Amino acid sequence: MTLGTNAEPAEEQQRSLQTTAARNLATTTKSAPHMQGISSRWLLRMLPWVETTAGSYRLNRRLSFALGDGVVTFATAGSRMEVIPQELRELPGMREFDDEAALEALAGRFVQREFAPGEVIAEAGQPVEQVVLLAHGKVNKLGTGPHGGRPVLDVLADGAHFGGELLTGEPSTWGYGLTAVTACTVLTLDRQSFQELREAERVREHARRAAQQPRQAANKRGEKEIGVSSGHSGEPAIAHTFVDYEPAPREFELSVAQSVVQVHTRVADFYSRPMDQTEHQIRLTVEALRERQEHEMLNNPDFGLLHNVAPQQRIQARSGAPTPQDLDELVSRRRRTRLLLAHPKAIAAFGRECNRRGIYPDSVEVEGTPVLAWRGIPMLPCDKVPVDEHGTTRILAMRTGERDEGVVGLHQTGIPDEYQEGLNVRFMGIGDNALVSYLVSTYYSVAVLVPDALGVLDNVETGR
Amino acid sequence: MTAAGPAGSAEQQAQLSLSTSAARNLATTTKSTPQMQGISSRWLLRLLPWVQATGGTYRVNRRLSFTVGDGRVTFTNTGTDVRVIPPELAELAPLRGFSDEQALAALADRFVQQEYAAGDVIAEAGQPVEQVFLLAHGKVNKLGSSKYGETSVLDVLANGAHFGAEALTDSPGTWQHTMKATTSCTVLALRRQAFQEMREVETIREHIRSGATGGRARNEHGEAEISVAAGHSGEPALAGTFVDYELSPREYELSVAQTVLQVHTRVADLYNHPMDQTEQQLKLTIEALRERQENEMVNNPQFGLLHNADMQQRINTRSGPPSPDDMDDLLATVWKDPGFFLAHPRTISAFGQECSRRGVYPQAVDVGGHQVPSWRGVPIFPCDKIGVDENRTSSVLLMRTGEQNRGVVGLHQTGIPDEYEPGLSVRFMGINEQAIIQYLVSTYYSAAILVPDAVGVLENVELGVQS
Repeated sequence: MTLGTNAEPAEEQQRSLQTTAARNLATTTKSAPHMQGISSRWLLRMLPWVETTAGSYRLNRRLSFALGDGVVTFATAGSRMEVIPQELRELPGMREFDDEAALEALAGRFVQREFAPGEVIAEAGQPVEQVVLLAHGKVNKLGTGPHGGRPVLDVLADGAHFGGELLTGEPSTWGYGLTAVTACTVLTLDRQSFQELREAERVREHARRAAQQPRQAANKRGEKEIGVSSGHSGEPAIAHTFVDYEPAPREFELSVAQSVVQVHTRVADFYSRPMDQTEHQIRLTVEALRERQEHEMLNNPDFGLLHNVAPQQRIQARSGAPTPQDLDELVSRRRRTRLLLAHPKAIAAFGRECNRRGIYPDSVEVEGTPVLAWRGIPMLPCDKVPVDEHGTTRILAMRTGERDEGVVGLHQTGIPDEYQEGLNVRFMGIGDNALVSYLVSTYYSVAVLVPDALGVLDNVETGR
Repeated sequence: MTAAGPAGSAEQQAQLSLSTSAARNLATTTKSTPQMQGISSRWLLRLLPWVQATGGTYRVNRRLSFTVGDGRVTFTNTGTDVRVIPPELAELAPLRGFSDEQALAALADRFVQQEYAAGDVIAEAGQPVEQVFLLAHGKVNKLGSSKYGETSVLDVLANGAHFGAEALTDSPGTWQHTMKATTSCTVLALRRQAFQEMREVETIREHIRSGATGGRARNEHGEAEISVAAGHSGEPALAGTFVDYELSPREYELSVAQTVLQVHTRVADLYNHPMDQTEQQLKLTIEALRERQENEMVNNPQFGLLHNADMQQRINTRSGPPSPDDMDDLLATVWKDPGFFLAHPRTISAFGQECSRRGVYPQAVDVGGHQVPSWRGVPIFPCDKIGVDENRTSSVLLMRTGEQNRGVVGLHQTGIPDEYEPGLSVRFMGINEQAIIQYLVSTYYSAAILVPDAVGVLENVELGVQS
């Protein structure tokens, strides 16, 4: 009984036709060309697509007044950090302040300070004596509990700012405490050096005016109030109201990803059995285009989801690694979170945090594939979410669909020479060098219908 | 009625009726078919989608790609002396394609063996790269600093890994990461200075310089780029592109497992009631062949899954036993539609223990009526063909399957002459002078990984670790 795969001894003569020789007569079974770059593209699969006729989509919203404070950006030179003067407009009361020289002078007065983890940056109840800009690091914002505890109200990271009310010149006190969670680099401007500034009066004037401006009646999300009376008795005059819209709503033009595929006529004419050469060239190019489309839908600076997260929807991972608490916090910020999108490494890091706590989140099946879920919300892997050189990444949470006022993908179907939905392949012609060219284009965009449909967990660390 | 008393009470009672032993001579015994222990569930064969490979060969066409990653280095050891095999040095990224045997041998001689204890720092981030390190034995943590200054483990390297190959180039720069031994490590190191003193230094330098320049644009997987323009407005000229294929794609020839089954004519002719002797002989032989087939599909050095998995898709356990964290890391390697895990039953049990230790209870999933343990919803199937070596270390495989999903496929050819089962034939060979009938039983098979990221391997899984 010889079960081995060993070749016969070398000296033995071959007595019949070898397989290598026989192969010359046989037809090899061939696979279609494969590529590694194809991913599951969950974002494209899960987003509901809205038909956009005529190439643009106007997003009408209720009139709203800017509420939140944005994030301040810094310029770094070695270990020195400086605030970019125009970014100081993000401070409360400084919006629309257009005196560049004053801003520059103000920026020059900020002093860089370092805090070790655990150090107190500001104490609740103390008078505000400085404006604090957090250049790098994480800070706990501490409240005072009704029974004396110190609940963590929020975790803030790079670009946060505190104590902007100092610029009005009025005395005030800190409503919360600030403690450094990690090593923090902070830029501060104290009251005295602000007052010494020549331009101080102008700044103060502007800030005071902004503070005194009558508040528009708005709901907590900053939308103009719809007057409603309720719980009244008797015959009071009932509120008259109307719903005001944004006068200049945002318009999304469909973006494009394009490629020109060239096939030599000789290849296309002769080498097309059993597989059509042109078809496979186009198939693989389409896959590359779709990958690029998903990348753009996340990372495009104009409409990409990562660049369109409202500041209130941006939360920080408390300890660095993505913990169940962080995800609970992320999910709690909106109704009906449909999916979480994260880099596979971030999912592994979250799995580790669960294992450490002895939690086994159930997995759910999405389109036949088992995926990890948290509170029943699938956590879908996507390698287009960037991971930086420190292993820091982000996790996205979103509600989807036009009916739920969530995130929708935009495309247009029924375009000429359509090959797939919203993607067409057009014959461009044959060049003098006998190259047949096809223009492959796909048109797409993505819109967040209301700001709370999309949230992000920032500064998630994937190492351990 | 008086029931027969206990044996002691009456003298040897006379037999009053026919005894069972005598009755047996008249009855026909019910017989089982012959049984064997060696049959396993053979999940791999059951789960793999089988692709018809007509013509005996299957060619896997892929996009043209350029190697981006580094391979592993192999060593020889005599006693405690470890030496790198010179041609293996071509696995170092700057030396790829360098084939001057003499220069490589000289280079290999310059390596100095060093020992590190657990916890020792081998290289410190920020320091200039002065040495090339080859890790002969042990585990090393690659440490980076997180955004806010805490250290974190980015990767675990094990036997055969190498780092600091930049020391061979003209401008080595500084270490990006700290390398710290987590077990006792045997390392071969080459000082930059020792390298520069070599006679052959110039030929090597020459090669490195020529390799560093040029090359076509490629994507992150090393595939030749398909140029795509996106997000542009206006009328920029679009670059023409084409999808290049690999020029000499890998071909998988169907491998064979064969045996000659012999049955004596006298047995085959006469002893056939109620069971056909030849058929039973055949049945058990086929079971043995199928077991062998599965073994080959996992372990064959040419096409076996354990040997064919891409180097970039292999990860090491962080601590030794298969912990839930390692399984999460493994899932991150085959994150595109993972199909199933395959592990030795002992590995599965060790994994279960690790889960229990952390208080994690993974749910079982239902696969075709079987309750199978799972991790994150991906079933874990037992397979005793995955070797457990003498150090009681094993591996865990994770794969995506199917031609549609660019996964792993089994290859076979159906419709062969005298086919008995799909891809298995039983051919009558003849009757020899000793009146023995011979049958040739053959099965043809192979396994192909369509794209490298379809298979992930967790290596160096230690079993029976005291914890």
